[in-house]
Amino acid sequence: MKHLFLTTAVLLAFTLPAQAQTYVDVNGLVCDFCAQSLKKVFSKEEAVQDIDVNLDTKVVTINYKDGASLDDERVRELITDSGYNVEAIRHGDGEAAVEASDGE
Amino acid sequence: MKYFYLSLVGLCVFALPAQARPVSYPGGWTAMVMNSGDANSVHLHYSPTAYTSVGVRSEYRRANEYQLNSVQMNNLIKRWNSKNSQANFYLKSGVGVAYSDAGDFDGETEAAGFTGIALDWEDRRYFTSYENRYIEAGDIDSSFMQSARVGIAPYIGDYGDLHTWLMLQVDHVPESDEQITVTPLVRLFKDVHLLEAGMSNQGDVLFNYILRF
Repeated sequence: MKHLFLTTAVLLAFTLPAQAQTYVDVNGLVCDFCAQSLKKVFSKEEAVQDIDVNLDTKVVTINYKDGASLDDERVRELITDSGYNVEAIRHGDGEAAVEASDGE
Repeated sequence: MKYFYLSLVGLCVFALPAQARPVSYPGGWTAMVMNSGDANSVHLHYSPTAYTSVGVRSEYRRANEYQLNSVQMNNLIKRWNSKNSQANFYLKSGVGVAYSDAGDFDGETEAAGFTGIALDWEDRRYFTSYENRYIEAGDIDSSFMQSARVGIAPYIGDYGDLHTWLMLQVDHVPESDEQITVTPLVRLFKDVHLLEAGMSNQGDVLFNYILRF
């Protein structure tokens, strides 16, 4: 019985969907205040668990609540309305750029 | 009135520097206190968008010895975002009432207004800014002033670290006895708090504090 439970638990762990993430390359991130601004703005979104801002790479990582997400248009809108520019938006493993702005 | 204002500044936990960004994030509040040889001011503003802030400002102008209470609007006219830097162009204006409590205009009250532009550029290592301001307060004051800064961060901190800047501020106030004032200062920035402290070549203390919430 114990082995059955452990096996089930391991199988479930591999079959549960990973928490979705969006990676955004942002222009204009030069200080903590920029990061704080984006954290405040994204914290008001129901779908967002939290965000991480890397000032070295200028990448904003959006972590979503289970089963939730924001579409790219909304992500772009939130960042642009905060006063910054979106260079590219990526999903999942952060490798494949699926959308890029004009980088204005 | 002067002592009341100075006490208010001393008691006030809030504060703001002239070269701090005059517009916050959408829905953000900023409280600022600026103290220098020229003036003491308290400014509280709200930013409905990342391009506009509206607030109230109270300041005591030392040279002409008067109080200026105003409603101020700041507009981000243009922002240039690049991969590793950011530059901004602001318009800052206000209207209000000036009240003199000393000198030739003791007891006099005048309608007042001011306007000016502010420009800044920064990356994570270097900072530079310029701003000017013209004040019109009837018989009490009619003056122009401008200020510029350069700064360097001795180290590049990560997000959440204490960020330190070493800066040099040059003020030009044509109406003042000492038209040019040079002030070396230190800026400390952590979380939602920004503090600046320095001393000018005239011996005047500069102390600014900003809180964003």
